[in-house]
Parts: sequence; C-alpha cells; structure tokens
Amino acid sequence: MELQELKENMEAVVKDLNGDPRFIGRITSIGITPGCRLKVMRNDKNRPMLVYARDTMIALNRKECKGIEVAEVGA
Amino acid sequence: MSATIALLGQPNSGKSTVFNALTGLKQHVGNWPGKTVEKKEGSFTLNGREYEVADLPGSYSLTANSDEEVITRDFIASGKADVVCILADSSQLQRSLYMMADYAGINVPSFLVLNMADVAADQGKKIDTAVLEEKLGIPVISFSATDNKKYDAFYKAMNRALENKSLINVSGLEEELEKIDAYNEMRRLIPEGKVENYSSMWLGVKAIENDKQVVEKLKEVLSDADEKQMEDIQRSSNGALDTGNSKFAWIDALLEGALNEKKSQVSIGKLDRLFLSPVWGKPAVVITILLGLIGSFIPALPFMGLGAGIGALKAPVASALASAGASEIITTIVCNVIIQSFQYIFQMLGFVFGVLFVFGLLEEVGIMARISYVFDNTMAKLGLQGKSVMPFLISFGCTMGGAAGTRVIDNWGQKVLTIALAWAVPCGAAWAVVPTLSTLFFGPGAVVVIIAILATMVLHMWITAKIFGRKLVKKEDRYGMIMELPPYHKPKWGALLRYVFGRTKDTFFRVAKVVLLVCTIFWLLSYSFVPGADPILCKIGKAIEPVTKFFGMGWQLFMAFIASSVGKEGALGVISALFTDGSVYTAFSDAMSGAAASGDLNSILLANVTRPEALAFIFAITFNMPCVVALAATYQETCSAKWTAKIAAYYTVGALVIATIVYHIGLLIW
Repeated sequence: MELQELKENMEAVVKDLNGDPRFIGRITSIGITPGCRLKVMRNDKNRPMLVYARDTMIALNRKECKGIEVAEVGA
Repeated sequence: MSATIALLGQPNSGKSTVFNALTGLKQHVGNWPGKTVEKKEGSFTLNGREYEVADLPGSYSLTANSDEEVITRDFIASGKADVVCILADSSQLQRSLYMMADYAGINVPSFLVLNMADVAADQGKKIDTAVLEEKLGIPVISFSATDNKKYDAFYKAMNRALENKSLINVSGLEEELEKIDAYNEMRRLIPEGKVENYSSMWLGVKAIENDKQVVEKLKEVLSDADEKQMEDIQRSSNGALDTGNSKFAWIDALLEGALNEKKSQVSIGKLDRLFLSPVWGKPAVVITILLGLIGSFIPALPFMGLGAGIGALKAPVASALASAGASEIITTIVCNVIIQSFQYIFQMLGFVFGVLFVFGLLEEVGIMARISYVFDNTMAKLGLQGKSVMPFLISFGCTMGGAAGTRVIDNWGQKVLTIALAWAVPCGAAWAVVPTLSTLFFGPGAVVVIIAILATMVLHMWITAKIFGRKLVKKEDRYGMIMELPPYHKPKWGALLRYVFGRTKDTFFRVAKVVLLVCTIFWLLSYSFVPGADPILCKIGKAIEPVTKFFGMGWQLFMAFIASSVGKEGALGVISALFTDGSVYTAFSDAMSGAAASGDLNSILLANVTRPEALAFIFAITFNMPCVVALAATYQETCSAKWTAKIAAYYTVGALVIATIVYHIGLLIW
C-alpha cells in the first residue's frame, strides 16, 4: 500500500521507493529506505504527512508519499 | 602555518553552533563565487596557529541536486580544506551518519564529531566512540556544541586528523556495495586516480546514483566504449535505492557494539500538539510570528533612538558649516545626503537586528520547522516554502525587516521570490498614510478602500509569483517537502547574539552603500543648482504631466509618488509643500527627514485633489517600492544588483499601472 493510506499511529515497513533519481536520492538521504520501519504520527488533509523513522520526525509532502510503498506491521 | 577546516553536516546537526563557537566574531558572510549560495567563513587562533573555518552549505547528502551540494563537493575536492569535520546528531545517529557514508571515499582527511551528546544521553543512548574510531580509522568524539568546556576535545581531534591525515576506512562499505551487480560492473570501468581526490568507489557510487556532475566528469576521462557501457549500467541499476541501502547497512555494522539504546515509544509533545494541530496550528503560528514581530521592536528601540539622534545633528552641523564659511551645496550634501542616509540606516539597522534575533531564535529552538510544516500547502501554491509566511507577516510592520527575515529561506530562488512578494505587503508606513488619506476623501468609505487594498495585495502577490516564479523557482525544482522536524532545543544565546551582531555589522556596510547612492541621486535631482530655478525632478515632472495625468496624478502628486519610493512617511509633506508653492527642495528634504506635514494639509488636499486622483495616489504609494532601506535590504539578502533592480522597476511600473486602473474606475464612479 502507499504511505498516505496508513492511518495515524500505524506502524509500517518501507517496501519500495518509486520516483525519479532525484526523489530517490532525497528520500534516501533523509533515512527512508526499503526495510526501514516507520510510524505515522499525523496524517491530516492539506498538511504534509508526519512520520517517525530512524529516531527522526519527518514531514513529507503528500504527493511524494505516493512513491513510498509500505506494508503495515502490528504494533 | 595555517590550516583550513571545513564543516560538513546535515541540517540540524548543529553545524552553525560549532561554526559560531569556533570563530566568534571573526566571521564573514558572503556568497560563493558565481553562485547565489551563502558562504560563511571565519577564523580562529589556537596555540599561535591560524585556522580558517569554512561552514559548508547544509544538505542531506553530497549528490549534486542543487548548488549547495555542488559547492560543498567542489570545495572539498579542490583541496582547499586540509581537514573536514563531519558532524552527526548523536540523538539520531543512524540517520545522520548518512552524510559521513556519502562522504566516505573522498580522499581528504576528516574527523567525526557526534554532536548533541547531551540530548542522546537524556534519551538513554550510550555511544562508545572508541569502537567507532577503531572501525572508522578517523578521530571520533562525543560532543555538545553548546558546552564551551568541550572544545578542547574538539581541537585535539582536529589536530590528530590533521597530523595523521586520517582517511575513513571504507572496506566495510565496499563489502556492502559489492553486493550490487551494477556497482561491480561500474567499478571495473573506473580505475583509481581518474579524478583527483575522489576514490573510484565514490565515483562508482555517484555514477550509479546518476549524479549528473560526476557522470560529466567521468565522460571526460572514459573512452567512448566505456562511456556507453556506463550508461547501460546506469539504466539497469536501481540507483540510489541500492547504494542507499548499502550505506545504511554499513552504518548499522558500524554502530553494532558502539551504540547502546533503549527502545522507547515516541509521542508528540505538548507544544507540538498545538503547532501540528489541523485546527489550531495556523493561528498558533501566526500569533507566534506576531509576538516575534513585537519582540523584535524591543532591541530595535535603542538603534532608532540613535538614528533620531543622528538626524538631530543636522541643524547644529548646518549652522557650524555655515559659520565656517562652507558653501550651501557642501552644507546640503553633508546634512541632507550623508547625515540623512545614516539616520535611515541606523533606524533600520535596529529592526534588522531585532528580526535577525527573533527569527534566529525561532529557528534554533525548532519552531521554524513547524511553521514550514503548517504553511507548506498554502505557500506551495506560490512556489514557496512554508517558512515564507514569516517575512510576509513581518512586512506588515516593515518590509526591510521582512527582507532581512528571508535569511531563513535556504533556497536562493525562493528567497528572492519571497522578497519580491513581500514588497506587495503594505508596510507600517503605508498604514500610517493610507487610512488618514482615505478617511479624508471617502469618509466611512475608507473601510472599502482598505479592503480593496488588501484584495489588491493578494492579487498582486499571485500575479508577481507567476511572473517572477517562472525564472526564480523552476518547475523541475518545485519539489514537495521532505524535511525533518527537529526536537525543540534550548537556544544558545551567546552564539546567537554573535551571529546577529556579525550579520548586522555586515548589513550595515552593504546597506550604507545603497542608501548613500540613492540619497545622492535623489538629492541631485531635487536640488536647485541655479537659485530660483526648478530642480531637474520638477522640470521632468512638469514636462511629463500629460502622461502622469493619465495615471491620475498631476505633477505635484507624481513628485510625491517619487518621494514615496524613498520613504512613504514623506509623501504627504511633499504634497502640502508643492500645492502651497513652497520650495521644492526644502519640501523634499523636510519630508524625507520625517518632518510633520503642515497643519492645514487636509484643506490643501481637498482643494487641489479630486477623489479619483486621491484614490489613484493612495494605491500608487501603497504598491510602490516600499522605501530606500527596503531596497538596500533586498540587495543585501539577494546579493544580486540585477534582481534588486528588476524588482524595483517592476514595482514602480506596477504601482503606476494599478494607479491608472484605479483612477479610471474612480472616474466612472464620481
């Protein structure tokens, strides 16, 4: 599923990243890579998504979240 | 012998705190040659040895996505740095070591500083630097940039790296990379020593990541057949997806046995529950900024008093010069150009100081990132970052403060665009003139005028964003937000104040040049060199009156419009003087120094100006260039005379276009 389909407080593992090299480069360098575990902190309409990954709170534009494929994991 | 040390780190790694603490007041902010990225350099002396410090632009990686990364890489590869200090955040160690992993393979000595050790300790994280040092082969220290006693350890690590010319041991990273087929193929194409200071491992990784600059460099040194093969490998690889994985796998292996942490549940803190709330976030941010605006006036007050004091020198200096037998021209140059300019400069410097301080504080504490988050969607419509909302709000008080506030915007194009849009926000001086004039001419209708002005402002910003945005923030650069929300930090007052003082000093010299230049030109145009004759400005104004009439302005109003580009407060004084046949020059110089308009201004205006003309004039001065100091601050922040001139010309023409439209609408009504 796509990252923005997750609801608040859900945890997931990143499965794949899709996008141009520049997007992949940027998202990788902030620490979101396949295998990385994350938790959705906020998922409000008209706001960037907020996820917590690798000890870091990260704000992500909703459009770009479409390129982040995840699988939900039980808490 | 001096040594050069370069600071490298991701945003929020505490790089600027280290820079400030190392260099103190011995720092200089400028631009990288031929680029529009801010360059921070400084120096310090330790045991009689001189050290130059270069604060490299902050970025999350070394891939050439923007000017920042290219500058960073070129600086390191040029060999200008004797040692690179890599900074990482101990509290987010795994993620922030990515920069080091991206650096590994560049053959310039380095050492690793694990900053924010205090925060990590609070979170129950224990880091064994000895284990890391053993694995990495470069000096590693645990550090708190805020703790002044810790700098001895910093200096020691730096000197060890300099003496041993320590390079990162990359064998672990290479092992990880060798699991990627594309990497192995790529490596075979690139023998060592092809590009100076870069290892073939590093070049291979960047080629796979499709780094345009590295690919260009390799094309220069590879044969045609190899070049074709390189492109084939690039097409077949997963790019940064694979190499990024290798880098994090290496980091994990490094931290094995070096990092001891308790797993803790994350939650959103109290303050963030407010700032990140979908309902209360925006009001909370706006109130924070407005409080900041008010707060920034407090440090501004002493400067403003100083400015007023300088202005008060005019009369005694003039009489002193006259009694010394100086000619009138000399006296007016000294009083009305030089003293006047410095009065402006000191008055504005206070506000620059205040805004830099408050904005710097918000950034350091971590609130700035929340502001970006809250306004990301709104500002993205204009092609800007969420942070741009701050300069806009500040500009309701003072455009110059707004321009100085764009310092927090890290992308040059977006910074210039923010300033260009901030000019459209009517400033405090406009708010002092507009309601008075509107009430005089339209009575209760003044409310409608003010609403119309605000509507025009929004439209103006939208159109200006379209016109300027195309060039300044290119489509392909309009990327969505990928940003870290750092934890809240306690501010470091000393470093912050040093930075603010340094910046204010720098602003003073740059701005003084522009203000002196503009005031001199204005003086030349408004001074009567032949007694009794009209100054050049008046002659031009009268000659082109048929044209300005079309804008809804007779020559007197047009002169006042021109005067309002220097300072809006002066516009009314110019009008009253011109309609009562006062000396044009005296009117200008009095109005510019903030002398009050004559008491019978109301009757003078009502007798000489029609309602459509008044409306045109109100709009013209509101949307004109804000003032000479705003112009100077724009030049200071954009570092581009070309763009400053473009924006100024655009606003002058724009104000006249708006006046024309408003005037002709007015003619239809009345």
